Amino acid sequence: MDFLSMLIPFVEITLAGAIINASVHFVPVGGAPAAMATSTGIGTGTTQLAAGAGFTGLMAAATIAAQSGVDIFNPLHWAIILLSGAVGSMIMLGLTMLMGQLIYVFGVGVVPAADKCERDPITGDYQKPYITPGTTGHGVPTVCFISGLIGAALGGIGGALAYVALIQLGFSPEVAGIIAVGFFFMNAVLASYNIGGTIEGFHDPKFKKIPNGIIASFIASLLTGVIVVLMALGI
Amino acid sequence: MDPTLLVLGALALSSAAATVAGCAEDLESDVGSQSNPNSQVQLAPQMGNIHRYFNKAISGEPVSYGLYVTVAGTVAWALMNIGMNVLLALVIGSAIGAFVHGAYAVSAYFGRIVGQSKSFGQPVYLDIVLSHLGPIVGHGFIAVFCMVLAAYLAVTMLGNPFPLPLVSLILGITVGAIGSSTGDVHYGAEREYQKYPFGGGVPVANQGDIDIKAEVGIRNGMDSSYFCSKLGGPLTGLTFGLIIFLDGWRSLVGGILGNALRGDIVIKSIIAIVVGIIIVAVAACLNRLVEVYARKKYGPYTDR
Repeated sequence: MDFLSMLIPFVEITLAGAIINASVHFVPVGGAPAAMATSTGIGTGTTQLAAGAGFTGLMAAATIAAQSGVDIFNPLHWAIILLSGAVGSMIMLGLTMLMGQLIYVFGVGVVPAADKCERDPITGDYQKPYITPGTTGHGVPTVCFISGLIGAALGGIGGALAYVALIQLGFSPEVAGIIAVGFFFMNAVLASYNIGGTIEGFHDPKFKKIPNGIIASFIASLLTGVIVVLMALGI
Repeated sequence: MDPTLLVLGALALSSAAATVAGCAEDLESDVGSQSNPNSQVQLAPQMGNIHRYFNKAISGEPVSYGLYVTVAGTVAWALMNIGMNVLLALVIGSAIGAFVHGAYAVSAYFGRIVGQSKSFGQPVYLDIVLSHLGPIVGHGFIAVFCMVLAAYLAVTMLGNPFPLPLVSLILGITVGAIGSSTGDVHYGAEREYQKYPFGGGVPVANQGDIDIKAEVGIRNGMDSSYFCSKLGGPLTGLTFGLIIFLDGWRSLVGGILGNALRGDIVIKSIIAIVVGIIIVAVAACLNRLVEVYARKKYGPYTDR
């Protein structure tokens, strides 16, 4: 294996980690409070939802990469694998947010409303009058939905990029898959620490902390990249 | 037979299994009270609400279901490799996964409740353990079996390059994330707080003040499962089933249209990606329609 064929996957893994970390910041997760319609977003944990979406994208990307005629060193094929991962993640998170919204509206009887903005930056709808007193919003308003889709797309691209890099290093799909899963979790957890609980999306003031998360993941992924390259060399 | 038809059939079966798995997973988490709404069951004795809910916060649902389905997938994979019949291997694997689930459920209940007994006076109800364990393990078995079946079809028929245990892990984590995000809201925001008027969510001041009385008698986890099977459970199943189906269907459409256009793998993949983006755009539009409907139907708060 020559220097360049190790350097490109190394750079890809490092970038993948930073992209995965950034993606988690876009996903509107309200944690346990959102499960009681006490805060805006999806009612589960940051890492878990991002991982659920990212892994769907990872499987979509791996299925494309495994098809006959696909050359992972071909830039066009490389881009298609990444985009397939992005779309797979977006479908997972888009449908999850939509169905969650149906339960919020028809099962719980709340109006989707964001707490971190006066008006929805996309639709222009006023948000505050629809928030139940004593809560910090509920449901998945349009701005959160779009932010979630951006996050899912980035998560899918990040997961797929890590998988492709591992395949380029010569790992079998099985080994590359399990390393990519662990790698995704590592970066999603780092992002979760940076977020510190809940986030509504790109309009949330907490989103401004994203550079810290990206730097942390960049460093962690750099170290991971060194380890997987050494593994690929058989050291 | 046309290979495309076979793949379509496998995809349909896989999606149907995923739908059942999602529904069973959500109802199981309602019987056992797991995931985020469990924080309220945990908080209730501290607020003076002595309850008869099962309390099973083993971990987040994605992680716990990742474990059960991986156990099932790994055992089934090992049995298949020594020549056992596929269906039998899947059933035995799922049974062992359900056994692991049951063991965690019992230890989680005793651990959680005993921890609250001394400080907050919450009794350990042995009849709750005995009566709820069957529905928990039963629903868990259905969910795990359907997911391992979906994982097996993904590996053997749908071109997934990963081994069965890894696909099982990924599907387990995904179904946990979906159940936690969709169906559990119906349990946490509505069922646990039915004594408050419908609509409006749960203000922070009311948290922990969960319903301890049922329609008749004292409420337990099985009452919650009955209630959530009307909306939360089916929608969770529909979410997981649609995700598996639509993600596979777009690739199938890409393949069929790509063949019709005599395109290569790039053309087929681009069509699949475009179809996927259309699906996402439709979901975004539907979400907006539901939001507008809710704003008109329920209106703003005017009495602040």
